[in-house]
Order: sequence, then C-alpha cells, then structure tokens
Amino acid sequence: MIDRSYKELLKLKRFPHTWCPGCGIGAVLKNVAISLRELGWNDRNTTVVSGIGCSGRMAGYMNLDAVHTPHGRALTAAEAIKTVRPDLNVVVLSGDGDLGAIGGNHLLHTSRRNPNITVFCNDNEIYGLTGGQAGPTTPKGTKTITSPRGEIFQPLRLGRILTTQAPYFYARTTVYHLNHFKACIREALFWKGFSFVDIISDCIELNGRRLGFKTAHQMFKWFDERFHIVEGVRDHLKDDELGIAKREVEAEVKAEMEVEKEPKVLIEGLKLFTLEELKHFDGTDGKPIYIGYKGKVYDISTSPLFQGEKRMRCHIAGKDLTRDIEIAPHGEDLVYHFPMVGKLKVKAEAEK
Amino acid sequence: MKQLVSGNEAIFQGAIRAGATYFAGYPITPASEILQQAAARAEEDPGFRFLQAEDEIAAAIATISASLAGAKSFTATSGPGFSLMQEALGWGHAVEAPCIFFNSMRVGPSTGMPTQPAQSDLLQIKGGSAGDYYPIAFYPNSVEESFRLMVTAFNAAEESLSPVIVLADALLSHLYEMADLDAIEVVVAPRTREPLGRGKRLFTGTAHDRMGNVKTNDPEAYRDWLNDLKERHLQVADKYPLFEYFPGKDPDTLLIAFGITSRIVAPLKERFSIFRPIRIYPVLEKELEKVTQPYRHIIVIEGNDGQYASWAECAISRKVMKVPCLGGGFKLKWIQSQIEERLKGR
Repeated sequence: MIDRSYKELLKLKRFPHTWCPGCGIGAVLKNVAISLRELGWNDRNTTVVSGIGCSGRMAGYMNLDAVHTPHGRALTAAEAIKTVRPDLNVVVLSGDGDLGAIGGNHLLHTSRRNPNITVFCNDNEIYGLTGGQAGPTTPKGTKTITSPRGEIFQPLRLGRILTTQAPYFYARTTVYHLNHFKACIREALFWKGFSFVDIISDCIELNGRRLGFKTAHQMFKWFDERFHIVEGVRDHLKDDELGIAKREVEAEVKAEMEVEKEPKVLIEGLKLFTLEELKHFDGTDGKPIYIGYKGKVYDISTSPLFQGEKRMRCHIAGKDLTRDIEIAPHGEDLVYHFPMVGKLKVKAEAEK
Repeated sequence: MKQLVSGNEAIFQGAIRAGATYFAGYPITPASEILQQAAARAEEDPGFRFLQAEDEIAAAIATISASLAGAKSFTATSGPGFSLMQEALGWGHAVEAPCIFFNSMRVGPSTGMPTQPAQSDLLQIKGGSAGDYYPIAFYPNSVEESFRLMVTAFNAAEESLSPVIVLADALLSHLYEMADLDAIEVVVAPRTREPLGRGKRLFTGTAHDRMGNVKTNDPEAYRDWLNDLKERHLQVADKYPLFEYFPGKDPDTLLIAFGITSRIVAPLKERFSIFRPIRIYPVLEKELEKVTQPYRHIIVIEGNDGQYASWAECAISRKVMKVPCLGGGFKLKWIQSQIEERLKGR
C-alpha cells in the first residue's frame, strides 16, 4: 500500500493546479510534501514562503501557512520569519529567475547570514510564466523568445556562487533522478543553516518545444545525458554533476605559492591520447567531445556550437584541429576556455 | 526626568513603548541613528531582533514578513530608501500586515541633498506602489510628539491591518529637545492577527478573496476585497483626525504648515491663523473644509513644490497659494517676505 498521507499537506480543493501538463513543478511539490510529511512537519510548525513565477505558486498549494512575496523577495521574507519565530521550520519554494535574477542580491546576502532555512529552487532555465524569455540560468546558445539567435551570455552558476563561503549546503539534482532528488530534499531539510537545493526541472511547453523536444520525457532523457550523479560529499560540484556540496567551516586559505603550483601537477598526470583514441570522442551516444590542439586535448562538450552535433562548420569533433584553428577567423583563445583533459601522443613523441 | 532627546531617539523609544520587537533597516542619512539604536537594543534585549539588510527592499520586506510572523515591526529610512520600499508597501497592504514605515525626508529627487531637510515625499506615501491602496500617515513636529505619534501609528496599524507611515524631516530627526518620555502616558493596542503557524492561510500579493484564495480573473471578488480594505482604512483614519488650529488676528489669511515648517512659522501665529495637519494622509477633508471656510487667502507653506497644496485644493475645491521652501531653506524671514508678496494688492 502506497503511503499517500502527504496529500494532507496539499490544498487538493484548489486542484486542478495552474501548471502545464508535463511541468516539473508537480514533482517538486509532491516530493517536498512527502519529505515534510516524513519529518512530521505540519501546519503548526512549518511555514512555506515563495516568490513569483510558476514555481512561486507552489506555496499556495501547500496546506500550511504560506507567504507569497513580491518577485525575488522570498529569501528575505523567510529569513525575517525565521528570526522572529525560531520555532517554525521555514521552507522556500521558488524558481531560478526569482532567486537568481531579481532576488540575486538577497541570495548573496541571505546565504551569507546563514539563517536556518531550506530553499528548493525549481531551476527550469527559463521564464515560464511570462512566455519563455531567457533567464539567468539559461545555458549559453539556447534559443528563447528574447534570445532568438541563442543566448549570448554565460549562465549564472548558482552552485559556484553558493559554495564560496562556508558554511554552505548546495545540492544539485533533477526531477528525473527521483531517488537522488528525494535524498537531496531530505539532506537539505536536516541541514542546520542555509541549505539550497537546485532542482533542474523541465518546462516543456515554453522551453522544451522550442528546443525540439516533443514530450517532457524527452527532456528528462536530455537531463540524463547532460548530468551524472556523483557519490559522497563534495566541496564543490562541477557543472555537469549532480550531488551535494557542503562544508561546515571555512577552509584555511592557502598561500599563493601553493595555489600556483597546482596546475603543473595536474598537467603531469594528464592522459596521453593517440589520434585513434581521440577519434572515439566525437560526441555521439552521449560521449564527451574532445579535440586536439597544439599537442593538447581539450574537452569542448560544453561548447554551444558543438552541442549534440558531430561538427560545427569546418571543425570536426575527435580530431587534431591545430591547423583548422590557425586559419579560423577566431583566435586560439577560444580553445583555452575549455578544460584540458590530456596530451596528444603523436605530438608528445615528436617533441622528444 | 526631563532630558535632551533627539527626534530619532524619540521615534525609536516610541516604537519600543508600543511593543515593537523587530527592526530592519539600511543605513541612510538622516535615519541611520534608528538603525544604530536597534543594534544596541538587540544586544541587551534578547526579545528584540534586528536586521541590517542588504538594501531597503530587503529591509521593508523583512519588516512586513516579521509582522506576519507575529512581531510588531518597523523600519526607518529616508526618501531614496523609501522609493525602494514602495514595492513592499504595496505588498504590505495586499497581505494586510500591520507595521510602521518611518521616513525622515531629505531633499530629492534621487540622492539630492542628504543632510538638508525637506518635506517632499508626501506623494510617495500614496502614489509610489502599483494599484490602489489607502495608507495612513502621520507627521509630528516635535520630539515629544514623535514619541506619541509612533505609538498612535502602531495602534492604527494594528486596527487597520496595514503598514502605517510616520513622516519626519532631517531637521526634526536631528532636533534635540527637553522631554521626559517615560512620563508620557500612552495606550497601546494589542496584536490583532494570529501569527504564522496557526492555520492554513495564504498571505499573497496576488489578488485574492477574503479567505485568501487567489482570484486573478474575478472582478467581483477583487472589488469586495478592495472595498473592505478601503472602508477599514478610512474608518481607522477617522479615529485619528489629528490637527492643530490657532486662530490669529488677521481674519482673512490662513497659513497651512506641518512638520518642521509649522515650528518655523509659529512666531507668525499672533498675526495669521495657522492650521497644522498631523494626520497627513488621508487628507483631513472635513476638518480642512470647516477651518478654511471663513478665510479669503489660504497659503500652504511646505518643504516641497506644492504637494500638500494640491491635496488641499482637491479637498476644499478652492485655489490655494503656495510658499515652497526648497533645497532645505527654511528661513522665517524669507517665508515672511514670500507671504507679504503673495498678499500684496489683495
């Protein structure tokens, strides 16, 4: 028998809800409700706060005292409520545009002051409610109605911002990786201090369709391709990793000399690739995209121009592109933006 | 025991007497002293909490949220900060959160003259946030009255379930006067709203009916809710029809002045009649009409370019004359010469 008692935490009278079919917010709402129920949090000891947007509507469907703030102000409101009523559990349910763009200043400072609140961010990489405009977390190159030629700026990387000052708790998960998602929610609710769960979610109607996805499920598969789960507790998460990064106390700042030495050690340990091996990494079947340049191998999977395609104009994935790039209109700086993952064997031998 | 107290100290002490337990603010001249007092108070009284926010937007939101959570809360700022708080002011009316916004005005627009007094944020009380709302605002003119009005404002906030605004100017904030605040007797209204964690309510800035259910496409529900709000606010405002009126020798001329300008023109009260509105908004329509009736000339003396004068004209449906004291220049001699000029040949 499945335990459906979490429904007591939802205002089912107000259903059907306002969200589109296939939206990831439903999964967020349900799993948060399940976790709250498991912990015994109820209308006597819990308050939910949300901002504006599709995800901002979540608070209104929770069968608890809920505060629906102006756009971007959910964190400040939650902090003030927690300050006045330390006995209440305060949960923030909001979205990436609300927390990262208009509420960006509050995100910086509320996380700095570290109140004991839990934030669930429905990160769908788009402004859904207003029709699909580019948001702060929209990946570079994504076409939206306000970036018709593809978003030109780097996305805001919440994970990097929130892991600069300890104590911190930052978890990244997706609505697709359900068990991981539930584990992250639970861990975050247990954390004493400011905890932030970045839930990569889908907006099929106003983002997915424009990107070429036909169903929400196809978007879930896309999440599976883009991200992978890493086990254990980390200090930081890479942009394609799902997991938990947390730290209770600030690490000692290393002397500058030590920091400078580090990259050298890394390069020593780099893998040697032959041209044959390199060919293998051409981006097909979810493999990363590597290219060779001046004796080094770079991982350009994150390049918007190469994403999901084997080639971009004259550049072919999985090849030594030294000559191509020398004659290309752009400079070699472009290559150095990407992480170096190894050395090319041919060149390495020739150097000897 | 009487001692020297500044306007800002009286404002803070008044809030404490009214039972305030939460303050959020951001440093701004000339209201920073209130933030400093709040920090000191939080050190010695564990029941008092304060937040130095990252900006006035956060300060105002925190004030309203603290009020919903169950604390009597207030914030203090000046003109530019009050501009940032407008969003929260609208939200405070929508979620019906009793709290106090104190605005010590300085010369604007924008950064303006940070240390010079002005009275130029009157239109911001009513017109800064989106949509219709009916705020109540008070404007004292002395240190002792600042204390009293702060308590009155907290009471009006609890009764009207809305943010109430207390105005002052840079001059009044930094004015030291002899006062015995402990000896002042005041009546303090209790909390009227159940704090958070006692129900399944939704406090939302989205249009909602009386039960808190979101109704974004229902004109009937919206009208019901807004009319309720308006009626309640006007009723509470009617409980506090505060003003002062001194009849003078000149039977034809009435001066209207409030806040610090009313102190500056006080020496003229032998000659002219003076009317001083204390509840600055909603405008004292009935009282103004009654008082102004016998006078041929009405002159509004204020630290802005005719903001209260325009309200007064609307209220009494008559033209009034203006003496705008701009740029922090409040000089009795200059004001006197301006009055003479306007009365010349009439």
